[in-house]
Amino acid sequence: MEGSTITLDGSIGLVVEFFNYSVNSILFQRAVYPPEDFTVKKKYGLNILVTINDELQLYMKQVCSQLEAWLTPGKISKLVLVIKDKDTAEVVERWQFDIHVHDKSDQAGAMTMTTTKSPEEIYKEIQAIMRQITASVTFLPILEDKCTFNILVYADEDVQVPTTWEDSDPNLIAGGGEHVKLRSFDTSMHKIDALVAYRVMDDA
Amino acid sequence: MGPRTMQDFPCLFSSISSLQMGSPSARKSSTARSSVTSSTTKSATGRQTILPFVPVSKSQAVALPLSPARKNTNANPLLDTKALNYSPVNPNSSLKQTSLLSRLKSVKAHSSSSVPKVATKENKPTSSSQPSADLTSSTGPRRTLKRSNSAFSSLDIVGKDWLQNAPTKRSCKVINKTHYDRFIPNRDGMNLASSQFNLSNDSKSPYLDRASQEYKERVAQACGIVPGQRILAFKAKPPTSDKEDLRKYFNPMMKTSTSSSSQRRILTAPEKILDAPGMLDDFYLNLLDWSSLNVIAIALHKSIYLWNADTGDIKPLNYESNTNTIASLSWSSDGSYLAVGTSDGDTQVWDVETNTKLRSMTGHESRVGVLSWDKHIVSSGARDGSIWHHDVRVAQHKIAELHGHTDEVCGLEWRSDGMLLASGGNDNLVNIWDARNTKPKFTKASHNAAVKAMAWCPWNLNLLATGGGTSDKHVHFWNTTTTARLHSIYTGSQVSSIVWSTQYKELVTSHGLPNNHLSVWEYPTLKKVIDVPAHDSRILHTAISPDGQVIASAAADENLKFWRVFENIDKGKISKKEEVSKLVSGGKKQGQARRSMSIR
Repeated sequence: MEGSTITLDGSIGLVVEFFNYSVNSILFQRAVYPPEDFTVKKKYGLNILVTINDELQLYMKQVCSQLEAWLTPGKISKLVLVIKDKDTAEVVERWQFDIHVHDKSDQAGAMTMTTTKSPEEIYKEIQAIMRQITASVTFLPILEDKCTFNILVYADEDVQVPTTWEDSDPNLIAGGGEHVKLRSFDTSMHKIDALVAYRVMDDA
Repeated sequence: MGPRTMQDFPCLFSSISSLQMGSPSARKSSTARSSVTSSTTKSATGRQTILPFVPVSKSQAVALPLSPARKNTNANPLLDTKALNYSPVNPNSSLKQTSLLSRLKSVKAHSSSSVPKVATKENKPTSSSQPSADLTSSTGPRRTLKRSNSAFSSLDIVGKDWLQNAPTKRSCKVINKTHYDRFIPNRDGMNLASSQFNLSNDSKSPYLDRASQEYKERVAQACGIVPGQRILAFKAKPPTSDKEDLRKYFNPMMKTSTSSSSQRRILTAPEKILDAPGMLDDFYLNLLDWSSLNVIAIALHKSIYLWNADTGDIKPLNYESNTNTIASLSWSSDGSYLAVGTSDGDTQVWDVETNTKLRSMTGHESRVGVLSWDKHIVSSGARDGSIWHHDVRVAQHKIAELHGHTDEVCGLEWRSDGMLLASGGNDNLVNIWDARNTKPKFTKASHNAAVKAMAWCPWNLNLLATGGGTSDKHVHFWNTTTTARLHSIYTGSQVSSIVWSTQYKELVTSHGLPNNHLSVWEYPTLKKVIDVPAHDSRILHTAISPDGQVIASAAADENLKFWRVFENIDKGKISKKEEVSKLVSGGKKQGQARRSMSIR
C-alpha cells in the first residue's frame, strides 16, 4: 500500500500546495500581475503558470507556511483570495475555498490512517479545478483597472494569530455579485470546495 | 455564545410583571398567565372549601399542609423535578397527574444529563418563577393549558375528581397547589424542570433562545459572519510588479473610426488663439513642443516662451543671445528639461523649473534644426546632414554620429521604446536607424521633397508615417519591421507635420498652400474625416496635448491656435488628464469668440 495512502500531513501539504498553485494561476489569469512575472510549470499534469516575481514568491511562502500551521489542528474553514481595485479598493472578485475536515474526532489517529483514494485520483480532481480556474476567464468580466489582491482566512475563534495577520471584514462584493461554484476535491482528510464570486456590471 | 441579555429570558419578565414584550415566547407566556388565572377561578368555583389561597404573602412552605409527599416538596419546594417525582406515588391518576408524568418524560428526554445539574443548582426564587417558555415545545403543558382555558371542561374534570374519591383527591389537589405565591398563584401550568434546565444550560438552550438566536444568526448571516469564527487577513500588502505591462501596447480599445466619424463633431473653430510674433517662417525648423506637464514651449526668433496650459502663465526662458536664433526645441519625456538647438550648432539643455541652462553641447558645424529625446539621450539633426546622439549625463556627451543624409535633417523622431530612430532630410530621404547602430537599418527614397513630417504610431510600434514637402504632397506609411510601404495618401498640399491621435485610430496632418489647413484621417481606411482651414499662411509646427485631445498649431501668420480635434466624447469617464488639458480661462466657452492674447 506504500504510495497509495495519504496521511494527514500529506493531505495538508496537498491542500496548501493546491492553494498556492491556484492563487498563482488566478493572479496570472486575472492579470493582477503582468505575464512577464510568470513562468510555466508542469504540475497536476497541466501547465500551470507560477510567478517568478521574488517578492510575490516570498509573500506566498509566508502565507502558505502559516496556513500549514493552522491546518494541522484544523483551525481554518475557509481560504479566500480577494481581488480588489487598486485605486478604489472595491472588491471585484472573490475566490473562496471552503475546507471541510473529515472525522475531526479520529483525526489524531488519522496520521497513519489509510484511505481508499489514491493520490492519482486526488490529482485528477485538483486538475479539474485548475482547468476550471483557467476556463473561468471566459465568463469573468475583464478587469480594466489595475488590481491588487488580499488573502483572507476564516478561522476558529480560539486560533493563535501571528502579528502578520489581522482581523478583517469578509470583503464581500457589493451587491452580492454573481456566484459560480467550481468543482471540489477530496483528500479523504480534507474536502475543498471552490467558488468564485464576481462583481456584475449593470449594463443599464 | 454571546452574553445573555434580558431578551434571552423574555418569559421571566413577562410572567412576573405581565410586560408585553415583542418576542413570540413572551406572547406565549402571557397566554400561560391567562390560563393560570382562569384555572384559579375554576378552582374557586369548584372547590372553595379547600383552596388555601389566602396566605398569599407567605411562602410556599406556609401553604403546605398534609400529605407525606409534601415533605418531599418541602425539602426542595421550588424544584419541580422533585415535585413531579412524587406524583406517581399518588394512587389516583387524574388527568393532571398523567399530564405531569408525560411532561416529566418529555423533560427527561430533553435533558437526561441535565436533571442532576438542576438539582445541584441553588434554587433562587426567581428561577422558580421561570415558567412557560417550553409550552411551545412540550405537548403536556399545552394540553393543560387548553383544558384550563375552557371553563366548562375544566369544571367537568374537577367534578369527576370530586365524585370519584374526594379525600385523596383533595389532598392531591392541595399538593398541586403547594407552589402558590402571590405573583404566581398556580404553577401547574408551568414546567419548572425544563425551565430550570433551559436556564442553567446556557450553552444549548434549545427552546428558550430560539427566537433571539435565530435573529442573531440571521444578522450574522446578513453580515457574512459565521458566529464563532474570525476572519483574518494577511496584513502585508501584496508586492507590486515593477515590470512594465506590455499589454498596454496591445491594441488599446480605441473607438472605431466609422462610428466615431458619424458621432463626433469636430469643431472647425479654434478653441484658443495666442499671438506668436516673430515666428520664423522657416520650414526646416522645429520651434513648438508640448510637454507632458502641459507646458508649451515656443521659440520666437531669439527668445523662448513657456506657456502653461493649466494656469495660462507665460514664462520667458533666460535664453539670451544677440546673434543666434533658435532652430529647434524638444521636451524631455518627463517635461522638466527642454533641449534647445541654436543656429550656431549648439545643443543646450535647460532646467525649466529653475530657468537655468544646465549645459551646452557644442560640436555641430551648422544649425541644429531638429531634436529628439530618448530617455537621457538627445539626438540632434544638423544642417550638414549629420545626426548626433548626446548623452546628457556625461561630460563627453557625443556618443554617436550618424551619417545618412546629404542635406539638412529636418525630421527626427525616436520610437517610444527607444529602439528605432526615424530621420528625414532635405535630400528627400527617410532613414530608419537601429539605436545600437550607426548605419541606417534601411533608407527610403519615395518622397520627392524634404521630409519634415514624421510620426510613430502610438498603438502599433512598427508603423511610421512620413510626409513630404511642397513638390511631394504625399504621406507614406511604413512597416519598419518588414520595411514595406503599407499605404500612401496624396494630400494635395505640402505636409509640414503629422500627429497620431492617442484617443482615436486617426491622425492629423498639417499643410501649407493653398489651404493652410489641418486634415484628420482615419487610419487604416485613410478616409478623410475633416479638413479644418486653420491659418492664413502655411502651418509650420504642430504639437499634441499630453491627454491627446488638443492640437496646437503654429503658422507663419504668427498665430498659435488650439484645436480640440480628438475630443474625448466618453463623458462618463472623465480622466484626470482631461481636467489637466482644460485650457485656461474657460477654454472651450471662449473658444468661439476670437480672443487674441499676446504671448509677449
